[in-house]
Amino acid sequence: MDNGLTVIHHLDESTQLCVLNILYRVGSRDENPEKTGFAHLFEHLMFGGSQNISEFDTALQTAGGESNAFTSNDITNYYVTLPANNIETAFWLDSDRMLSLDFNQKSLDTQKRVVIEEFRERYLNQPYGDVWLKILPLAYKTHPYQWPTIGKEISHIENANLQDVKDFFFNFYAPNNAIMVVAGNVSLEETKRLCNKWFGPIKKGDTIKSSYKKELVQTEARIEHIYNNVPLNLLVKAYHMGGRLDSDYYACDLLSDILASGKSSRMFNNLVKEKRLFSELDTYISGDVDPGLFLIEGKLMPGIDFEAAELAIAEELEKLKTELIPQDELIKVQNKTETNVVFGDINILNRAMKLAFAEFIGDIELANTEIEHYLKVSPNNLKEVAVKMFVPENCSTLYYHAKK
Amino acid sequence: MSLNRREIPGFFAVDKLHFPRFATDSNANGIKVYSLKAGSQNAIRLDFVFNAGLINQLKNAQSSFTASMLSEGTKRHSAIELAEALDFYGSYFQTKSNADDAVATLYCLEKHLENCLPLFLEAIYESTFPEKELEIQKKNGVQKLKVSLKKNNYICRKSFYKNLLGEDHPYAAFSEKSDLLSINTDDLKQFYQTNYIGGLKFLLLSGNFNETTLNLIQSCLGNSVTKFDEKEKGQPSIKSKFGKEFIEKTDSVQSAIRIGKLSIGRNHEDFISLQFLNLIFGGYFGSRLMKNIREDKGLTYGIYSVLEPFNSASMWYIDSDINTKNREIGIEEIYKELKKIRTEQIPNEELISAKNYFLGSFLRSLNGPFSLADRLKIMVDNKLEANYYPNMVSKLNSITSGDLMTIANKYLGEENIVEIVVGKK
Repeated sequence: MDNGLTVIHHLDESTQLCVLNILYRVGSRDENPEKTGFAHLFEHLMFGGSQNISEFDTALQTAGGESNAFTSNDITNYYVTLPANNIETAFWLDSDRMLSLDFNQKSLDTQKRVVIEEFRERYLNQPYGDVWLKILPLAYKTHPYQWPTIGKEISHIENANLQDVKDFFFNFYAPNNAIMVVAGNVSLEETKRLCNKWFGPIKKGDTIKSSYKKELVQTEARIEHIYNNVPLNLLVKAYHMGGRLDSDYYACDLLSDILASGKSSRMFNNLVKEKRLFSELDTYISGDVDPGLFLIEGKLMPGIDFEAAELAIAEELEKLKTELIPQDELIKVQNKTETNVVFGDINILNRAMKLAFAEFIGDIELANTEIEHYLKVSPNNLKEVAVKMFVPENCSTLYYHAKK
Repeated sequence: MSLNRREIPGFFAVDKLHFPRFATDSNANGIKVYSLKAGSQNAIRLDFVFNAGLINQLKNAQSSFTASMLSEGTKRHSAIELAEALDFYGSYFQTKSNADDAVATLYCLEKHLENCLPLFLEAIYESTFPEKELEIQKKNGVQKLKVSLKKNNYICRKSFYKNLLGEDHPYAAFSEKSDLLSINTDDLKQFYQTNYIGGLKFLLLSGNFNETTLNLIQSCLGNSVTKFDEKEKGQPSIKSKFGKEFIEKTDSVQSAIRIGKLSIGRNHEDFISLQFLNLIFGGYFGSRLMKNIREDKGLTYGIYSVLEPFNSASMWYIDSDINTKNREIGIEEIYKELKKIRTEQIPNEELISAKNYFLGSFLRSLNGPFSLADRLKIMVDNKLEANYYPNMVSKLNSITSGDLMTIANKYLGEENIVEIVVGKK
């Protein structure tokens, strides 16, 4: 649109529902290092009343709709699902909160308390809940991925004030900084009409993104020991990998499947079942837009020391670096990925979010072609990526000790 | 013309809930196969539902271990061979033991079903429960339990069921370390023989499939699989210990809270009304509990009330984690809200909004093949009429504030309540 809002229309006449998904190009990586957790706190405030509508949720629920949102390192994503014939309610609500929030102190105070409870519930009051708070600053020294979306510490949330909220809103919540997806049983003509009516009058903003520092290449192994009141020792290893658009991204994702996804995976069979070193073991990628992390995380069996556990992991990684992965094993994880993609596409809301995210990273075609990238990966690619990534100086290791 | 953003755009209440046609076939042995075709992706889900839930077990951990050991080896294949083969075709084999049944599910793309189905059936019907695999699962289970016991909400949930239903009630069967260590392959084989081999209740196929797939399933089922004969069995007795219990956990920053009581099942004439009342009280983001305790006072990240209808007992409870300092205020507010819903008429505006939301939420859950399959399973399990969901619209619309107050006094009274709090003193 003229004001810079990107709109994507996705028609599905088989459903009685519609989705309005708005992705704002702002995440925790855009935060001031002294005011972390703000993007996520802000997400809560977006439900606390806008210029002309005091209660977002009540108005939506009355039209049979439901809404939620999430904040990641890179984006803040809001979605509404409702009966297709009530799509205009979503346009009315979401355009008003893009136009302006009502910036009330009460909503800020309450949501600060709610977010602090969220911090406690998910990060402090759970065994191992603080792993993410510990491993990120170990792995990242300059890039803002060094803090989680909830924030570095509770005081950052406590200190947020109304001026911060206003500044953040007027900088980032502008049409030119958003991608909107209208999905479901709503025609293109109706979508255009509603876009012009509700979003057309909103003025373009002057979004300034402060440039943040890139992460420098890690040159030596980093380790940290923590001792806490948990029942089992936990080992976490984080290797730097490429970003979402990096050609190695798909190979990394498949490597994590080969290592520990499902009962036929290597580490599950060799380290959990055969050697009995771990009771649980998982590998996954963080999936961030900027260069992210490849993580290995395992809970040790009683009587097993960290050294033995680490050595066994190193052996598995060494195999990936020295031996080609058999073609059948690669086909297996590719087939598994295909299943995941097809099943993920069943849900209309998933499709809407996927379209918004693909557009955000600059290649909307990815929504349709993602699987082809996975199918293109060869055993040689996997080996090359493993050789490059799985070196000690690229790794941060967290030894989470069960305090006796 | 300038746009008036204060004027609410027109909207429509949901006036119709559509449930798609589904087929009910029986094979030669009388096993029912329900099939529901929906969606456009060629993905399918096949559920085998067994009479093998918590309610059927003779000792703790029998139901969950039998379910999780199904894929751990057959007469013809080892655990790893089964996993390799099923993974190779990109399929997922999941088993889940529930309160009233156990379900083995195959998720796959239709093009791979031919290769996956024989393995899936082999895992279900020719399971051998190897000693070695069970030992691994037992030890891992003990490790997981250690972590669970560090979670306030796990301890709270466990105590709630124990107090409300009685220490020995099947639904309150939480495995202790000793249960995990003492279970053996004979326990599993015995449970398997009775409750799986002889306990198949029905099959449910959902997704976008064609006739060939349905025929393939019928022919693979063959004649070997026998039908479960449902017999009337006695209900386990309920021995409640009403009242409050506080469990101290010195190192916690929040307290887990569960407050609730015995309730009614899906076939009770008041069920839909109570389900709707629960929604208003604590069943969604716009509920009274959420608005007061989270959105107004900021005492918690989340607070919900839940109606949990099982076959042999139904429960209704409020569930939340509240910060230690404000715990007493939070609990007080919960009881205030309970009293309010029993003594004050629900304002019309709130009633209408909740009705619209309730119907909208059904519209959402009757969308997509697997979500529909979950609904169909509820219909089959509870022998609900085929028009249950479409009929819900008129049933709901006829409910008045007066009716809801009667329901609140009947089911949300403060007598016979169990309240569990786990946290720091």
